[in-house]
Amino acid sequence: MSDPVEDGNGFGLGEQDAARFADVLARYPTRRSALMPTLWLIQDRDGHLSDAAVTWTAAQLELSEAKVREVISFYSMYRDRPQARHVLQVCHNISCHIMGAQPLLAHLEGKLGIRRGEATPDGEFALEGVECLGACGMGPCLQLGKHLYEHLTPERADALVDGLRRSDPPRPDTDRDLED
Amino acid sequence: MVKVTIDGRELEFAAGTSLFDACREARGEALPHFCYHPDLSVAGVCRLCQVEVEGMPKLTIACNTAVREGMVVHTRSEKVRRAAQQILEMHLINHPVDCPICDQAGECGLQDQYMTYGLYESEVGMSDKVHKAKVQVIGPRVVLDKERCVLCSRCVRFCDEVTRTGELGIFNRGDRAEIGVAPGRQLDNAYSLNTVDICPVGALTSLDFRFKKRVWLLKSTPSICHGCATGCNVRVDHEAGTVYRLKPRRNPAVNGAWMCDEGRDTYRPLHAADRLREPLLRRDGALRAATWPEAWEALAGLVGRDAPLGFAVVAPRQTLEEIALFTHLAAALGAAPAAVSGGPREADRGEGDDLLVSADRAPNRASLSWLGLEEPAGADLAARVRATRGAVLVYGADPVADAPGWCEAVAGRTVIHLGTRRGATAEAAEVVIPLSAWAEKDGLLVNRQGRVQASRRAIVRPGLAQEDWRFLADWLTATGETDAPVSLPELRGWVAARVPALAGVDLNVLPPEGLVPDAVAAGHGGER
Amino acid sequence: MNQDQYRILSRRFDRRDGHRLAAYEADGGYRALRRAVGELGAVAVREEVKASGLRGRGGAGFPAGVKWGFVPQGAETVYFMVNADESEPGTFKDRFLLDYDPHAVIEGSAISSFAVGAKLCVIYIRGEFGWLIDRVQKAVDEAYAAGYLGRGAFGGAYELEMIVHKGAGAYICGEETGLINSVTGLKGQPNIKPPFPAVSGFLGKPTIVNNVETVAAVPWILEHGATAYRKFGTEKSPGTKLFSVSGPVRRPGVHEIPLGLPFREFFDDWLGGMADGEELKAVIVGGSSVPVLTAAEAMEVALDYESLATAGTMLGSGGMIIIPQRCDMVELIQVLMHFYWDESCGQCTPCREGTGWLHKIVQRLRRGEGAPEDLALLEKVCEGMAGLTICPLADAAVMPMRSFLQRFRPEFEALAAGRRATEPDSRWAREIRS
Repeated sequence: MSDPVEDGNGFGLGEQDAARFADVLARYPTRRSALMPTLWLIQDRDGHLSDAAVTWTAAQLELSEAKVREVISFYSMYRDRPQARHVLQVCHNISCHIMGAQPLLAHLEGKLGIRRGEATPDGEFALEGVECLGACGMGPCLQLGKHLYEHLTPERADALVDGLRRSDPPRPDTDRDLED
Repeated sequence: MVKVTIDGRELEFAAGTSLFDACREARGEALPHFCYHPDLSVAGVCRLCQVEVEGMPKLTIACNTAVREGMVVHTRSEKVRRAAQQILEMHLINHPVDCPICDQAGECGLQDQYMTYGLYESEVGMSDKVHKAKVQVIGPRVVLDKERCVLCSRCVRFCDEVTRTGELGIFNRGDRAEIGVAPGRQLDNAYSLNTVDICPVGALTSLDFRFKKRVWLLKSTPSICHGCATGCNVRVDHEAGTVYRLKPRRNPAVNGAWMCDEGRDTYRPLHAADRLREPLLRRDGALRAATWPEAWEALAGLVGRDAPLGFAVVAPRQTLEEIALFTHLAAALGAAPAAVSGGPREADRGEGDDLLVSADRAPNRASLSWLGLEEPAGADLAARVRATRGAVLVYGADPVADAPGWCEAVAGRTVIHLGTRRGATAEAAEVVIPLSAWAEKDGLLVNRQGRVQASRRAIVRPGLAQEDWRFLADWLTATGETDAPVSLPELRGWVAARVPALAGVDLNVLPPEGLVPDAVAAGHGGER
Repeated sequence: MNQDQYRILSRRFDRRDGHRLAAYEADGGYRALRRAVGELGAVAVREEVKASGLRGRGGAGFPAGVKWGFVPQGAETVYFMVNADESEPGTFKDRFLLDYDPHAVIEGSAISSFAVGAKLCVIYIRGEFGWLIDRVQKAVDEAYAAGYLGRGAFGGAYELEMIVHKGAGAYICGEETGLINSVTGLKGQPNIKPPFPAVSGFLGKPTIVNNVETVAAVPWILEHGATAYRKFGTEKSPGTKLFSVSGPVRRPGVHEIPLGLPFREFFDDWLGGMADGEELKAVIVGGSSVPVLTAAEAMEVALDYESLATAGTMLGSGGMIIIPQRCDMVELIQVLMHFYWDESCGQCTPCREGTGWLHKIVQRLRRGEGAPEDLALLEKVCEGMAGLTICPLADAAVMPMRSFLQRFRPEFEALAAGRRATEPDSRWAREIRS
């Protein structure tokens, strides 16, 4: 099946994402206002925003590449290069700090054999210190993808890393036992 | 009008006037600032133009405040001074103090304002500064030093709002924020050097001008760009007979604060290797240098009572006064008025845009119709030359190089060339008269709006070259005319009297924004 | 004391199904919207909310009804935005509302949009709340399907499109013009004012931005009336307020209290006091940006806008950070100064340069490389930032910096005199709680 939306450089969205993109364009009042959701759509699929993605997005939304890159570089969650498979983002802000963010970071550094800001050579894990994640009363905490792990202890941190290595991570604390 | 008291002086301003502009008027000098620019949107980010407005709890930035009736403003209070000093210090925290090797030194906002408000010891250790990239060539004409940038965002706003090309961005945030282009992209719009002009510090510099001259050695002469029919107001920066750069001069009625990059290159031909420095006469088949008396003698021998001029052509890059005088001279030399024409159109055509660049690259074409000159297309023009007999007088143009059919048309004819460079037409001539290039003389240009603007002499003529109008007037006198103008002011009066469009206009006294004659503004143009 | 009587906003926080439309409707949900559209009309809704005295819960505490009134009469296009960019350190109350009671936020947003005449409502959720974005989007989809949103809702009496917008990691987007710019597709940098967004905001049109907690209170106010709402709280700080409490207390988490409650009572009865082995040293009452109080000062204050202002601090977002005795205050301010340096948007010079400078000075103090003059320098940098920028982020850095320095000066002086900082406290939360 041909890509419904593809540029000359081989970048394109699959059918499903193209439909999502069309939906975003329909709901946002201007093309430019569709920028953030469009970047999310691509990053959710690719894991990062490649040069080709920037060129494609700029053309689609009728912006210069500089304006697209301004936005990507301003927000901490957009990534312009490939990321490790599991990016562990430990909150190091004040509440988590009081509750043990530094020892948690140190523990994970030891467990993963890397320092914060680095990734494991096999590209499986990256460890980052990040600003407040909004789990202050449940600290220390870390973010992994869409979810948070809270009330972390050395055992829980180990269980998370080990679980991820086995592709069987423990259930995140924000994935609550709510009725679906 | 609203009444505003600034530093104890009560003044009146039109409602809606920016407090920044009001303060400039009241103080006789602008408030300290980096980001404010009258031709860009208000960013309000440098925070330097803080003033005290009575009744407001905090200091407020003047650039984003409109004057209000009864407003009482203090711009020199201790509170204001202290804020400006502190904010200036913030600007310097991460700014390298490399003024001795900075091309902006001497025209740097940071230096200037430091002299006014600073004189303190910086309390940031050099080792603590945030370091960023230096000397990045970001486009064909512009070099960026990210460390020197104070993030005023003027250049970004220029590319977003004026050219709407958006090449520049401020990437990252906080003190990691930096100006740049997207990877693999360039700042390559047709107006890129304006970003250098509006950069208040040495972050953006001109690849062409960099390190050629310390700016305090330069002298500036206000003039008009000769690059196209727009007639952007410029400043010619020169020293010791050499022009180093052109900068736009603000004229809201013509060019705002901008000019195009192509126009900036128009200083180069001034110093071309083939500039004519002395009269040339053809002897033994070759052009050889001659004295002025020899040149006059040669002219008298080629054109006169017994040998009427066949055809005369003048380029629309000569001034209004020159074209008028030349037309008169050509008639006196026997060329019928119909046989005096504007230069070949092909030489003056280019791509235009909807901003400043006119497709008509001739700076003074509007003068032609005012003076009743025709502009036949190149081939027609050549045909008309062929239809005449006698010498062909070419002034300021190089049709042999630029126009179709001219090579053949002038073959075997006597060509007299008046100009500044030794081009193909000069090579085909019997007599070549060296005249002044645009920056070497005073004169008036009529732009595409019908606006008369004054171009001024910045540098001296090379060698034995003559001032154009003087040469034309002398030749006119030599034909027996007794009332040829003896000064430029007189010449201008003489021109105004002969051009209906200029009825009642004193060409010697033009307002700063130039003058659109009433007859032109009313839509009659210069047509007779 | 029965703490549950104050649970207006948090009444569904311990339910497993509170986020579902069916449960919300069974609880009387969307009745207020129906009544607003069908009976009251926009003017009456605005009046009721104004009469309730509901104040903006994002931090500034500006009366919501008054803010709505700034939309110019007869404006054709108006936008309404819900600020769920909850990023103020110590604050996690909006997260609970979105998690456990998304329909209350949606209904409140819909009523508020109706009240100001907006036909497009954007719920701006910080990107880090990935799971919440899914949850709220699901609830919005439910509301569309049930006919509470979209064209022709309630028989065409009103229409409202609702977008759930995902942020991407920028504290400054919590500032309303930063938020608007972010939705526009720009960097989330605040705008100079004037113009104020209520006059010229998103795409140059009047735009009202309200906090999640503010809009979540609106359905209750319409259901029970302004007078009932004013029964809680004080004259000038009416109603209840969510406090999100972090630090080593027995019961951290989100607590809803009537405004005006004495801190001592809140601390003892709601929070259960300090965890075992911990002693109270200081309290940041309203999120990291407000001035810190010493334990003694905290014990004397009441939790409402006016009392806290009198005590030299602010209610802010209600993100209460309890600081135990074992903490080194210079270490904590370094954490905070890193945060403001990290999050400064970078456009205003005093903030861009000042936040970095403050961080560097504190850092070198803690490295043992400080000098006695550094304390005066900290104060001087604060002076060069405070009140001189477009948005309050610079002030948000200055307020904790100044108050830490003022109230815990000996700790700074010891470092400035050359003592090296103590090693960071390496206790784990597990040890803290036990």
